[in-house]
Amino acid sequence: MGVGEVVAEFGGVYVSSLLSTWLMTIVCFAGGLALGVLVTIMRVSPIKPLRVVGDFYVQVFRNIPTISLLVIFVYALPYLGLLLDYRTCLIVCIILVVASFASENFMSGINAIGVGQIEAARSVGLSFSQIVRLIVIPQALRTTVLPMTNLLIATLLTTAIGSQVPLTPPELTGMVNYVNARSVAGISAFVVSAICYAGTALLLGFLGNKLDKKVRIVR
Amino acid sequence: MAAKSTAIIQMHHVDKHYGELHVLQDINLDVQKGEVVVLIGPSGSGKSTLCRTINRLETIDSGEILFEGKPLPQEGKELAAYRAEIGMVFQSFNLFAHKTILDNVTLGPREVLGTPKEEAEKEAMDLLARVGVAEQAHKVPAQLSGGQQQRVAIARSLAMHPKAMLFDEPTSALDPEMINEVLEVMVGLAKEGMTMVVVTHEMNFARRVSNRVVFMADGQIMEEGAPDEFFDHPKTERAKDFLDSIRGH
Ligand SMILES: Nc1ncnc2c1ncn2[C@@H]1O[C@H](COP(=O)(O)OP(=O)(O)OP(=O)(O)O)[C@@H](O)[C@H]1O
Ligand SMILES: [Mg+2]
Repeated sequence: MGVGEVVAEFGGVYVSSLLSTWLMTIVCFAGGLALGVLVTIMRVSPIKPLRVVGDFYVQVFRNIPTISLLVIFVYALPYLGLLLDYRTCLIVCIILVVASFASENFMSGINAIGVGQIEAARSVGLSFSQIVRLIVIPQALRTTVLPMTNLLIATLLTTAIGSQVPLTPPELTGMVNYVNARSVAGISAFVVSAICYAGTALLLGFLGNKLDKKVRIVR
Repeated sequence: MAAKSTAIIQMHHVDKHYGELHVLQDINLDVQKGEVVVLIGPSGSGKSTLCRTINRLETIDSGEILFEGKPLPQEGKELAAYRAEIGMVFQSFNLFAHKTILDNVTLGPREVLGTPKEEAEKEAMDLLARVGVAEQAHKVPAQLSGGQQQRVAIARSLAMHPKAMLFDEPTSALDPEMINEVLEVMVGLAKEGMTMVVVTHEMNFARRVSNRVVFMADGQIMEEGAPDEFFDHPKTERAKDFLDSIRGH
C-alpha cells in the first residue's frame, strides 16, 4: 500500500490524530512551562529548603526517560489507589519532564540577567516578588525563546510515547499501529506520520525564530 | 562640624568579614543632611562594601548603622521601603535591559510608590530632560552610550525622591569624553543640597562639591578631611602614596 492510498483510506483519521498530537503538545508544553516557572521560582527563592526541593525536582525528572515514568504511572499508581485514565497519565508524565527542562532554560535565562540589574531593582525598593514578576520572568522568557522552541519540538516528539497506551483517537505514532492493524500499509503508515511530525516541527522552528527576532533583548 | 543629631547616616563600630578577610574594620562615619562625602582609596580597600552596607545590599557582622536616627530594617517590606528612600548609582549603570528608558524611570514610582502612570511619566520626562536624555525616552538601554545610560540611572534614582544617594564609582566604566556629562549632573544635585556618598577618584569633582573626603585602606578609615586639605596635605603615608599613584607620579 503506497502513501497515497494510505492517505486516501485513512486521511480523516490521520487528521484527527494529528489534531490530537497537536492538542497534547500544547497542553503538555503549557503545563510544563507553568510548572517550570514555579520550580524556577523555588530554585531562586531566598528560602533554602525551597531551593533544595526545586533543584531536586529538576535532577529527578530531567534524568528519567519519559517512557519509564509513564510505565510507573500506568502500572504503579493503581497500586497506590490512584487511578488515572491513560491520557491523563501520559499528559502528567510529559508535563513533569518538560517542566524540568523548562526550568533549566529559565535558569540560564536568569543567569544572563546579571546580578547588577537585580541589585538596582532592590535599591529602587522593589520586593522579591515584584523583582521576579517585573524583571526576572519577562527577561528570562524573552531570552529563552530559541531553547524553548527546541523544547516545544521535543515535547511534540515525546507525545509519541502515547503509542504505548491505548488512546482514542490515537496520536500520530499510535496511528501507525492503527493503520497496520486494519490494512497492510507497512512503512507507508510511518511515512505519513513522519511527514506530519516533520512539517509541524519545521513550522514551530520557523515561528520560534520569528518570535525570537521580535522579542530578543539587545544587551 | 554640625551637631551629631543632624547626621542622616550614622555608622558606629561597623565590622564585616568575607570569610577570613576583614573587609570593614571598626568603621565610624557620620554623614550630615545635605553633605557630600567622597570615599577614596586603593582597589580592594572596602569602599564599595562600605557604600553598599548603607542600603543593606551588604549585611554587617557587628556595630550599627542608623538612618535618620533609626537602625536599618533587617529584611522584608520595611527594608524595601527603606531602600526606596536611598538612591543608588552603580559603576555598570544596571538599567533594566528589557524596558525603555522611560519605563526604567517610571517602574519604581509606579510599583513602589503607587504613582499613577500619567503622573509618573510626566515626572520621568522632566527628570530625563534635566539629565539631558529626553530624546532617548523610547529607546532601550543598549541603544544609549555609557554616559547617557548613567544619566538615566541617576534619573531613575531621583524619581523615587530619595533622601540620600549612594554612588559607587559612577564614572569608572565610562570613556573619558563622557565622564564630565555625568559629573555635571552630580554637581547639580550636590548644589541642590542632596545628601551624597560618592566613591570616586575624580579629584576635581571632590574639590568642587564635596564637604569631606574619607580615605580608606585595608578596610579602615585612615584619615578624613576637607577636600583641599586632604589632597594638598595628606596626613598619612598611605594617603600620600595613594595620591601619588593616582596622579601618575
Ligand atoms: N562578595 C564577596 N565575597 C568575598 N570577598 C569579597 C566580596 N566582595 C568584595 N570582596 C573583597 O573585599 C575587599 C573589598 O572589596 P570592595 O569591592 O569593597 O573594594 P573597593 O575598595 O570597592 O575596590 P575597587 O576600587 O576595586 O572597587 C576586596 O578584597 C574584595 O576582593
Ligand atoms: Mg569598588
